[in-house]
Amino acid sequence: MSDIIRIEHLCKSFGAVKAVQNLSFRVKEGELFAFLGVNGAGKSTTINILCGQLQKDSGTVEIDGMDLDHDTVRIKRELGVVFQNSVLDGALTVRDNLQSRAALYGIVGVVFKKRLERLSNLLDFEDVINRPVSKLSGGQRRRIDIARALIHHPRILVLDEPTTGLDPQSRRLLWDVVTKLREREGLTVFLTTHYMEEATDADYVIILDNGSIAGEGTPLSLKNTYAGDYVTLYGIDEKSVGALGLPYVPIRDGWRIEVATTSEATKLILEHPALFEDYEITKGKMDDVFLAVTGKKLNGGEGK
Amino acid sequence: MTGFFSLTKRNCKLFFRDKGMFFTSLITPAILLVLYVTFLAKVYKESFTSALPAAFALDDSLINGTVGGQLVSSLLAVCCVTVSFCSNLLMVQDKVSGARRDLTMSPVSKSTLALSYFTASALSTMLICFVALGVCLVYLAIVGWYMTVKDVLLLCVDVFILVLFGTALSSIVNCNLSTNGQASAVGTIVSAGYGFVCGAYMPISNFGDGLQKVLSFLPGTYGTALFRNHALRGVYAEMLSIGFPVEIVEGIKDSIDCNLYFLGEKVGIGSMYAVMILSLVVLVGGYVLLNTIKRND
Repeated sequence: MSDIIRIEHLCKSFGAVKAVQNLSFRVKEGELFAFLGVNGAGKSTTINILCGQLQKDSGTVEIDGMDLDHDTVRIKRELGVVFQNSVLDGALTVRDNLQSRAALYGIVGVVFKKRLERLSNLLDFEDVINRPVSKLSGGQRRRIDIARALIHHPRILVLDEPTTGLDPQSRRLLWDVVTKLREREGLTVFLTTHYMEEATDADYVIILDNGSIAGEGTPLSLKNTYAGDYVTLYGIDEKSVGALGLPYVPIRDGWRIEVATTSEATKLILEHPALFEDYEITKGKMDDVFLAVTGKKLNGGEGK
Repeated sequence: MTGFFSLTKRNCKLFFRDKGMFFTSLITPAILLVLYVTFLAKVYKESFTSALPAAFALDDSLINGTVGGQLVSSLLAVCCVTVSFCSNLLMVQDKVSGARRDLTMSPVSKSTLALSYFTASALSTMLICFVALGVCLVYLAIVGWYMTVKDVLLLCVDVFILVLFGTALSSIVNCNLSTNGQASAVGTIVSAGYGFVCGAYMPISNFGDGLQKVLSFLPGTYGTALFRNHALRGVYAEMLSIGFPVEIVEGIKDSIDCNLYFLGEKVGIGSMYAVMILSLVVLVGGYVLLNTIKRND
């Protein structure tokens, strides 16, 4: 896979505040790329620079082989953005909203009609097409937001904390849609989120802290590097668990032991086969990774 | 150009579909109508008839035509400016709602966006003001018609110029606002204050000398005077034809702001147009300059 986004030594300051410091990373075409960080970590600043909304102080940003400094207009055609809050016009109908936005990219007449038909099928909003956006439910509105972001066939879909404030059902719906889009249209998805479990499904994750990269890798490599494994034992008494000589915590049906690596867990099982009749090994969570990397907890609530 | 037309259409649609914004824009003309119905018409009539020498007995139609002309000119003068201010508040609403961020994500330039706000506001205001002009002309036809086709056409020109003036002024003010609170404050100040400042609620000649001098520096005053002159020209012609002395007609013109004086010098109609057009050019230039500065920030 080739790189669709290349950022090298990106810096941006607001007065004395260094919002983004020497940030370098690459996003591969077609992947789900997650950007994690607490508020003020520099996520929005980076996205605003990517989308040409904010001038950078230094560094280079290349999108689909085009330099942001020289090809801003062409780059804008490659990006579709879903904001945290719906930014469509509540008083206008879904059709009016999408029509006015499509025209900004020169998509009018029959071409628009065809695109609207395709998107309404894909995102299942044919029945609300003539309804004002303000009358739609949160989940329906999110689908229209995605349709707006995709109206001009972008190659990169930027999701800026898209599920914040959504109920679990709408959150699930959004992810189903995004998964479908990635499968059918080969979209690259650039995600910023507070929800750790959403990052678990990403192909690559960057954890931002104070404007610079605190950790990066695939979810698996991050978990292996920054979080231990958990062995959960069922059907034995506390005395037997204590005999293992490792710290443990009681859970409803058994005991949870934290081990540094999966191989250490395997070693433990092999050394005490009698105790391991009913057990499971689980990887650490992304929350553990984030805490280990930044020393901070993300207050994103439950995952999707 | 597709982007510009689409944005302009969107902005116009939003103004007319947003009932809050639409009806708020009509508050000042509505206040003026209420004032007129409740007591202004009576005050105008009484002050007009009492100022006339006892020897002159006037037809009711002429008196009503004079008072109606005052109302019409006042109404149009405030309508052109306050409606444009309210319709142009969309540029603030878009900042607050985040729609502006969405629009600027597209390949459309910020100058196109700024021009679309201006054009949409001017078109929406013009539509409302020309409808208002139509209603006003019907009203004048009922109470006392003394206008010629030329007067009507000149009133149309006045509406056109004052709408552009109001749009340019509101564009400069509104493009510096970014919160609902600021927008609401400006809307309230303009709605409440402009009628007084331009002499629509009360003729400027009724104010003290100092205030008259200050108001003579404001271009909006000349806009109201243009409306007054064209709405009442026929009435004055009728007065002269039935034997009113020129001095008395000039006195009436002075009292209801058809004649305006700048530092003691009478301002002619041509000069009033020059003031309005020059102000319009300066304001549009200012708007372009502000957008250029903001784009470079």
